Amino acid sequence: MRRRKVCLVGYGSTEYSRKSEEPLLRHYAQAIGAALDQTGLKKSEIQGFSVTTQASPDYSPHVAEQLGLELDWVLNGDYGGAGGVTSVRRAADAIEAGHIDVAVLVGGNSFDKSVVHQRPLEYQRANYVDVYGYGGPNTLMALVQRRHMEQYGTTLEQIGKIAVTQRENARLNPQALLRDPMSLEDYLKSRMISDPIRLFDCVMPCSGAECVVLASEERARSITDKLVYLVTDAEKINYQVANMLPDKTTFGIKVVGDRLFADVRREQIDLFELYDDYPIAVMIQIEDLGYCGKGEGGKFVESHDLSFKGNFPVNTGGGELSVGQAGLAGGFLHIVEALRQLRGEAGPRQMKKAERALVTGIGWLSYGRNLGTTAGLIMERRA
Amino acid sequence: MAEKSLPKINKIDQPFWQGAAEGKLLIQKCRACGKLQFFPRVVCTDCFSRELDWVQARGEGKVHSFSWVFVPRNPAFKEEVPICYATIILEEGVIVESRVVGEKAKAVKIGDKVKVVFQETASPEIKLPVFELAG
Repeated sequence: MRRRKVCLVGYGSTEYSRKSEEPLLRHYAQAIGAALDQTGLKKSEIQGFSVTTQASPDYSPHVAEQLGLELDWVLNGDYGGAGGVTSVRRAADAIEAGHIDVAVLVGGNSFDKSVVHQRPLEYQRANYVDVYGYGGPNTLMALVQRRHMEQYGTTLEQIGKIAVTQRENARLNPQALLRDPMSLEDYLKSRMISDPIRLFDCVMPCSGAECVVLASEERARSITDKLVYLVTDAEKINYQVANMLPDKTTFGIKVVGDRLFADVRREQIDLFELYDDYPIAVMIQIEDLGYCGKGEGGKFVESHDLSFKGNFPVNTGGGELSVGQAGLAGGFLHIVEALRQLRGEAGPRQMKKAERALVTGIGWLSYGRNLGTTAGLIMERRA
Repeated sequence: MAEKSLPKINKIDQPFWQGAAEGKLLIQKCRACGKLQFFPRVVCTDCFSRELDWVQARGEGKVHSFSWVFVPRNPAFKEEVPICYATIILEEGVIVESRVVGEKAKAVKIGDKVKVVFQETASPEIKLPVFELAG
């Protein structure tokens, strides 16, 4: 539970595009500009600033220089897919500590060829994984999915339902790049990438940016009357790292969930924005969060409606699977969609009751185990 | 033209690659607590001892999980697809990532017994430990 009150007061998104070579800085500027327009904040009121990206020159003080930001707090929020949630945590800590009152967090990606977009592989990935001709994260998640299918009898139909339902949600989201109808058959017939991971298990890389604005409660009241509080948040890094016989089908999200639900009851959550680099990762998170037992995710998905109108709404805007993954903006996409729902700004996909949202971020598939970085938060709309 | 990835051998894992070149699968053993571990590190991941020995694994184990790779990250590997990328549990109780190779690999299942073999690479000094189905 947060000791002092911190609010999420606004957001901004760019349009997404598949292969745009627009400079990433322009994407950042556009997302931040949209957030400033929404909140009415002036550039000079930004005290804290964080950048989440894998584009190597984009060290946050340098980005801030190019955007003309003079700051009291700065962060590189680069923790893979967990970078959105962890950046929010760091900024909330700084606000609680009284260092700053307002923080702007941005994540993004572009295909600008003048910029290096991937860091070099870390030593263990380079020397013990890449040398065998692995297929990147697709292969590492395929190992997890095959274990889940083997251990618990999980079926492709159950996993595919997640992708199919998210596509239905995306059809009402103008930001989503993938809005054509997709059937379970389409999913099952999609091209094999790294068996059992198929094309429609994978996110589509794209360019764009997402921005989130945090403020102290006192400051938030002067910015918006749509007050969304950060209620509780937690992270687990390198879960099972010393275990040489790790359980591949349980993520650090299990520990994160236990911490979050010490403060809020599971049944109080209205919507779930679960990091969806792959549908199997969504299923495992539902288990790890304790909404069903380990291995029962397949049956849970089968017996619940995951759409924005359903009894267990997941990734109400279509998630990264259907919107597209603008690099590490992916971790912010889920936070922004939760804010849209809680503020009543989700348009045709607006949920009837959206008071509390749970958002997760997971990132970096580690050697022999699964996710290296895992984090979660719960936000709540109050009058 | 991309080349197939090779390890960039460093001061931490030089003994491992030296062993592989000689047909030995080496893993680390903590001198303080006896824990075995892989990949090579500078400390014991259990007790943080900096005193680590190298021991030779038997090279036998079971398939823990696997994926047939059709789209390798490094396009130089495309000529070899599908590649059977796998996690193997060594008899010593340590998980390793590698490949399952050989004609019989096509029928690989979780739980199958495997044995290490050492594959030549483009570099004369480097051999890669990979696994074949046993029996």
